[in-house]
Amino acid sequence: MGLEAEPLQRPALGAAAMPAGAATAALPRPAGRARWRGWIGRLAPHLVLWPPLLVSVLHVVSFTLYTTWISFTPSTLLPEYDWIGVQNYVSVLNSRNWKIAYSNLVIYGCGFVLLTTALGLLLAVLIDQRIRAENLFRTIFLYPMAVSFVVTGTVWAWLLNPAVGIQHLVRGFGWEGFRFDWLVDREMAIYTIVIAGVWQASGFAMALFLAGIRSVEADLYKAAQIDGAGPWRIYWRVVLPCIGPIFIAVLVILLQFAIKTFDLVRALTGGGPGLATQLPTLVVYDLMFQRGLLGRGAAAAVMLLLSLLVVLLPYFAYARWRKRREARHG
Amino acid sequence: MFTIDRRGLVAGVATLLAAPRLARAQGSVKPRLTLISQWSAGSDGAAITSLGRVFEQEGGVWQHSPVPGFTTEMMNKLRADILAGNPPAASQLKGPEIAAWSRIAPTVDLTEEVKAAGYEEVVAPDLAKLHKPQGKWIALPLQIYRTNTLFASSKAMAKVGATELPKTWEEFNTLAGKMKAAGITPVANGGIRWDDGMKFEIALAGISPAAYRKAIMELDDDTLRGPEVLAAFQQLRRFADWMDPAVAGQHYSVFLPRFIKGEMGMLMMGGWAQGVIRHNGFDAGDYMIGQAPVDNGKPCFVLNADAFIFWRSKEPDLQAGQKLFANLVMSKRVQEMYSKITGSIPVRTDMDLSGESWSEGQREASRSLNESVRENQAVLSLAHNMAQSNQLSAAMIDVLTEFVHNKSVTPEQGRQRLAEAVESAR
Repeated sequence: MGLEAEPLQRPALGAAAMPAGAATAALPRPAGRARWRGWIGRLAPHLVLWPPLLVSVLHVVSFTLYTTWISFTPSTLLPEYDWIGVQNYVSVLNSRNWKIAYSNLVIYGCGFVLLTTALGLLLAVLIDQRIRAENLFRTIFLYPMAVSFVVTGTVWAWLLNPAVGIQHLVRGFGWEGFRFDWLVDREMAIYTIVIAGVWQASGFAMALFLAGIRSVEADLYKAAQIDGAGPWRIYWRVVLPCIGPIFIAVLVILLQFAIKTFDLVRALTGGGPGLATQLPTLVVYDLMFQRGLLGRGAAAAVMLLLSLLVVLLPYFAYARWRKRREARHG
Repeated sequence: MFTIDRRGLVAGVATLLAAPRLARAQGSVKPRLTLISQWSAGSDGAAITSLGRVFEQEGGVWQHSPVPGFTTEMMNKLRADILAGNPPAASQLKGPEIAAWSRIAPTVDLTEEVKAAGYEEVVAPDLAKLHKPQGKWIALPLQIYRTNTLFASSKAMAKVGATELPKTWEEFNTLAGKMKAAGITPVANGGIRWDDGMKFEIALAGISPAAYRKAIMELDDDTLRGPEVLAAFQQLRRFADWMDPAVAGQHYSVFLPRFIKGEMGMLMMGGWAQGVIRHNGFDAGDYMIGQAPVDNGKPCFVLNADAFIFWRSKEPDLQAGQKLFANLVMSKRVQEMYSKITGSIPVRTDMDLSGESWSEGQREASRSLNESVRENQAVLSLAHNMAQSNQLSAAMIDVLTEFVHNKSVTPEQGRQRLAEAVESAR
């Protein structure tokens, strides 16, 4: 469902994430003995890289441009091609829905990213303690990631429903005054989305952090231990600084998750109670497909894309800067 | 459910034998119909399948592509087909969207067929208007539901000693107060957007059908800012206070068992809820059904109707199929078969519903429609996109659903926001 609503965002991220993935794929591999082998070795990365890149560029860039174009036209049910300037942008920006959606996005985005990062890091550190059945725990924590957001949303909708879920259960234990009705409280409903989102994504953050922690060289640990540092100090002063880049990666991935959240809200609260949990993606979908206002929907989609760029551009700038620095320091 | 299906089928087949063979008149081409609708399951699916069978028995080729799920999915399919230059011969569409969509692709002029069938005289005038946007019939209504229908749980009514449905909002409020005192949640509610919007339309139509017509259908600014709309918001706030606070964002049908058990007292829902209640295994004795309160004592009918729009086609077999289909949709026998399966009432106001396979609820609603048309108190539903275009309806329902769930908004503020939403969406 979410895919049609935001044809821009998903593929765009796939494309954006690709250079990073491709960089690892293109790492120099051991040279083949025969010459032709080396030749294939050199060609393979290109074969792997270019076709998907071209498809993505065609898809993403052309449809992004098309949507941007539509956003400047008076299109309603079908695309029309008269120019009306920024009228669509003005009316979207002035609408109550958009304002509610953006303030919700700020609350949800901050809550989701910070909590997921914190919880993911905590889980990673705990799992790092050479515990028994580590694989089992890792799988359990990662599992929510394998569940689609729609399922997460539906499950949490029942868990958080005060009449049948957690509140009902705790009251059943005898604590009659217990209240946990955020889902139907319009002030708190947005936080239920944070809860469900954190539950879903923290295992993923954990996996990334764990990989980072494990990649820290053993010598550093030993040196710190010899210097008499306790475990807390070792994590704080040695390990965390070493995995700085992982932090950036986690933050960026989570932020773009947050911005394009659609199905979770749709399944969990449907944007309600009232308009209390409206997010920009829902507004785009609503404008385009429910209200039949393609032009305004496209304008909203373009603004959503711009907010993604706000997240991604600093990251790219940082990545470039780091690369240069590394090149300088050899 | 199944017995109804079979009954509907038997009725369809029986009337078929007696009916003139329309297909023969179409000449040599075999009539064919391509159709898009969202009806694939439940009673809707059964009804459209039966209609297809009648079409086939009349010698036609039936090509129905259901697009289940949200209405928007179906609209996307329709949009794609129109963009590709290949619209279906007919598709499900309703309300003012018929006029909006007819502007983007050529439609079929059915005025001749409608005249020949004498159909216009038997359709409620406001409803007829929606289906002939430029004075030409391009779409045909299929079935009607009344949205201002009040269901009362028999158990809850017995508990407070009530024997009759309330006739006015004052009676309603007294009864709801009694239920509340008896530990019953007076208003059964789901809490989805259209559900919230419907509560408002039921309140306003009951307070003053004339104000409803002016404010909601004609968007008259003075009426939108007038006392009746304020009274409707006040009544909507009372509803909200009487709902289960633990309910939000769920479909009303989730709570039907609690309603039948008597934990919830009254349900304001369209006539289709009868079918859903029956589907849940409860019977007509479990609830009382009738018109929602109307303060002026005369019947008022808030109308929701499904319809088909006919898209122009060059192929002769499709054109013949459209003619055949149009005549079937307008015919008494198809409307009877269809409504018996879905629990709606027929569009035609000249049908006899005294037969035993009609339910008491259907008879009452049909009577009410006829009288409301006579009294000029038949109005079009806002929450079901009959009164305004989707864009305007959505903007108005935004205000209503927020009002229901945000008790810090006063009725005065609600009224003002509604008028402003109309202004900015226009």
